[in-house]
Amino acid sequence: MSMTREEVLNGMRTRFGDVILDFHDKSAKRVYVELKPGALVPVAGHLFRELGARFHIASGVDNRSQLEVLYHFSVEALNLLVTLRVKLDKRAPRVDSLVPTIKGAAWIEREIHELLGIDFTGHPDQRRLLLSEEWPEGVYPLRRDYQEWDAKAIRDRGV
Amino acid sequence: MSVTMRALLKSPWVFHLSTGSCNNCDIEVLDCLTPRFDIERFGMRLAASIRHADVLLVTGSCNRKSMIRVKRIYEEQVPKPCVVVAIGECAMSRGMFIHSYNCPQPLDRIIPVNVYIPGCPPKPEAIIAGVVKLINKVKASI
Repeated sequence: MSMTREEVLNGMRTRFGDVILDFHDKSAKRVYVELKPGALVPVAGHLFRELGARFHIASGVDNRSQLEVLYHFSVEALNLLVTLRVKLDKRAPRVDSLVPTIKGAAWIEREIHELLGIDFTGHPDQRRLLLSEEWPEGVYPLRRDYQEWDAKAIRDRGV
Repeated sequence: MSVTMRALLKSPWVFHLSTGSCNNCDIEVLDCLTPRFDIERFGMRLAASIRHADVLLVTGSCNRKSMIRVKRIYEEQVPKPCVVVAIGECAMSRGMFIHSYNCPQPLDRIIPVNVYIPGCPPKPEAIIAGVVKLINKVKASI
């Protein structure tokens, strides 16, 4: 790819200007792009298919007022990390799944689903990934308001 | 002393079980087998299978998924008599994972523990001292 960093970023800004809520050019190697949740799939598809970016991982965060999902991509020809960030309503966190576009996102979306309770619409197989079978439905351990549900849990050191 | 117990104390075979540790304790356990510490001179060696072992070394904080396996190994697979050694802070009290949603109980609430070796991780000297205490404890109890 012969495009420069500025051409790539300006191209994204002009093409998706109406869905980009915040464009944070953090450093020469790192860009955060906050999107409207509905626009995640087309922007990720643009990065993945047209720019040849590599999908690394997604991360989920509970920032108290909202739940965030961050999809991390790298454009290796430019030595650039691009993170797509969506902020979701905590009462009904829902975003379109990237799995139909990027197969490799399947397991990390399952993990974010079980740990933070974010619903990925269109995910083909949204089972639990890591939590044990006895874990109750609807309890999400990485939420800020998580409460201990297990009456048998012992939290003192005992020594 | 019965023949079984004499053989067990003469040459305790050890099975090393990591229940979700950070691998630091496991590295110290392996250090005990190096020529510098050489616990094989006490007749100890790592057994490849729990069914060949006399001692169960447990490292790591038991999480919800591994505690089921620990219980099954101790109750169904270990040949008795068997002694259990908890190595490191995590196996004893779960260390920094005490408030983790995934570590509800310390090891000694899941299976009986005979010897605790504290440290994060314990030095190989501490592990050897712990094993000597264990052998003396078992000798004194019979």
